[in-house]
Amino acid sequence: MAAPVLERVTTGPGRRARRRPGARRRDHLTGWLLIAPALAYFVVFLLYPALSALYYSFTDWNLRTEASWVGLANYADLLFDDVKYPHFWKSVSVTLQYTLVAVPLTLVSALAQALLLNAIRRGANLFRLLLFLPVVTAEAAVGAIWRWLYDPQYGLINTLLGLVGIPGQNWLNTPELVIPALAFIAAWQCGISMIIYLAGLKGIPGSIQEAAIIDGAGPWQRFWRVTFPMLRPTTFYLLVTGVIAALQVFGLVYVIFSGNGRSVTGGPEQSGLTYVLHLYLFAFRYDAMGAACAMSFILLVFIMIVTALQFRFVKQEAA
Amino acid sequence: MSRGLVRGAVVAALVSGLAACGGGGTGGQSGGKELTFWMYQDRTPQAGQVMEKVREDFEKANPGVTVKLVKIPKDDYNTKLGSAVASKSAPDAGILDQPLVSKYALDGTIKEVPAGLIQEADYYKGALDTNRAGGKLYGLPQDQTTVALFYNKKLVPNPPKTWDELKQVAAQVHAADANVAGMNVPKGDGYGAWMFPGIVHGAGGEMVDDAGKKVLFDQPPAVEALQLWVDLQKSSPRKITDSDKPFENGLAAMTISGPWDVPTIREQFPDLDFGVAPLPYKTEPAGNIGGEDSVVFSTSKNPDLAWKWLAFLSDAANNGAVADAFGGFPVHLKAQVVAGGPEQAAFLEQLKVAHARPAVPQWIQVNDEIIAPAIESALTGKATAQQALSDAAAKTRSLLGWNG
Repeated sequence: MAAPVLERVTTGPGRRARRRPGARRRDHLTGWLLIAPALAYFVVFLLYPALSALYYSFTDWNLRTEASWVGLANYADLLFDDVKYPHFWKSVSVTLQYTLVAVPLTLVSALAQALLLNAIRRGANLFRLLLFLPVVTAEAAVGAIWRWLYDPQYGLINTLLGLVGIPGQNWLNTPELVIPALAFIAAWQCGISMIIYLAGLKGIPGSIQEAAIIDGAGPWQRFWRVTFPMLRPTTFYLLVTGVIAALQVFGLVYVIFSGNGRSVTGGPEQSGLTYVLHLYLFAFRYDAMGAACAMSFILLVFIMIVTALQFRFVKQEAA
Repeated sequence: MSRGLVRGAVVAALVSGLAACGGGGTGGQSGGKELTFWMYQDRTPQAGQVMEKVREDFEKANPGVTVKLVKIPKDDYNTKLGSAVASKSAPDAGILDQPLVSKYALDGTIKEVPAGLIQEADYYKGALDTNRAGGKLYGLPQDQTTVALFYNKKLVPNPPKTWDELKQVAAQVHAADANVAGMNVPKGDGYGAWMFPGIVHGAGGEMVDDAGKKVLFDQPPAVEALQLWVDLQKSSPRKITDSDKPFENGLAAMTISGPWDVPTIREQFPDLDFGVAPLPYKTEPAGNIGGEDSVVFSTSKNPDLAWKWLAFLSDAANNGAVADAFGGFPVHLKAQVVAGGPEQAAFLEQLKVAHARPAVPQWIQVNDEIIAPAIESALTGKATAQQALSDAAAKTRSLLGWNG
């Protein structure tokens, strides 16, 4: 960026014609060198692994020895062979259910927290810190804490439910309750979305709110007629990124279901066997890296389709 | 400042930065021979001291040799090792989980034990056999272990010996206090499926006949074993046993676990008065075998030295302490068992009748994806034990391509 400017300043008009072609090449070189670190990072850690994974998805590979080419067999087997991959479709269904529950819950929780933070005058910094803490807490600690909270005998959640007369549940060991329980943790960890919503709220001009008040709009109307429509671009962004993240959920289920020396097989009756956990098991436990790569590309295509549909059908402009 | 100088400085800075990024892979070249050995992270500080002493003894006996012990958390170990082997950066030697030995041997990523390294008759046959693939020996065992019945002495004065006694004791405990489960019955997860074969052997059965390529876990002994767990749940509601550490907290009177749990329980729950007894059986005493094997990787530059180290760890003089450090019992017949607590006798008795797991390369997948869900469907009452296991056996036959 700086080099051309430098050249115009320092190069005399007489020498320009003669020196220019070589100098331009050198300018290009400088430019490339300046972006080299970022480019090297992209190529070495993103592009090369992704292209390798694409190649390996067409092979039978156990990670240790030479891969053998099998064409589309991995893709076909994953989709249609329930002997080789008995839980593939189960993992798809678990992940879709999780996404459908966790994403809206996270958005509602983040927006509610942001509205509260935006409303208070004193101590906003403290509360923002407290609400953000779950995001920066180590995943393993989060898993341990929530296993405790959900404990069927001593768990705080069952104790609280007991106070209002609801019988305690065996949360993480009842297949029907696993997804809601996991989604609730995700909603608790919504700090990043909360911060983005807060920024969105700060961006709504005070004059619009004032105009609404003068027109006689109550708080409820102001939220639904002014705040919420003005936040639409923020909501759209959080929806798209939230769905992508939810479709790839892994760390949470891994730490929740790997306690007590149990091998991670996805919770009771595979009810917590998310797509990426299933992929991980094939990659690193069952020695089927080729199939795992194919799974990752099926997921990639699926995410691209879902995202394109959201861009097509969800309103994203502020109104 | 001239333009050329600025450019030169930028280029130099970038190049040196990139060089620094790429320079991490080499190094560690010392004058003598260095041997890298991968193992699980120490279970206790004492275990670390034992390994340190054995390492020093080996270095003293082999001047000029340094042994580097690389300790990796057990949960990450297989993943890290697989990646290292794939990228041709495997260590000289390392611990290898028993079911992985045959897989690595098939791949050619580990070396065969050289003739004359050890006298096979010096080792426990069962432990040594976990290192065989296709009749050849690919590693040396370092320790062996097994699971047995842990019982709370306050709730269970006399440990049950048979299945009938087990059911009876569990029922009595739960009848006496409805908040206490008779037994922490294993679940239909990978861990439960791993324990299951020991129960099947106790009824005189087997999971598979791998030589004859026959699936046998739909036969009566396995069905009876699963039915035992189903029956035990009547006196052991999951609402109690799914709680955190139910046995340790006194909420389950019995559980199945291994010697590795004993020091942890003693340390964290000093008030728990518990004993260990061999697993109850139906027709014959039986159990599982587990433990650590050790292998030399094909990429090792000093394979002879690596084998020498592995043989050193497992010889009569060292294996008693080494096996104890790994959390198991010696594999060398003449090695001194480190005197342990009163529970040791039960584990040693159990080891005499322990059976190795099936030597099927895909066994982990069968264990996790087929047997575990089958156990769970019987335990939750969605299928009978016979239905669940017949279904699982059919799936296993299809997956493995077996007819029997």
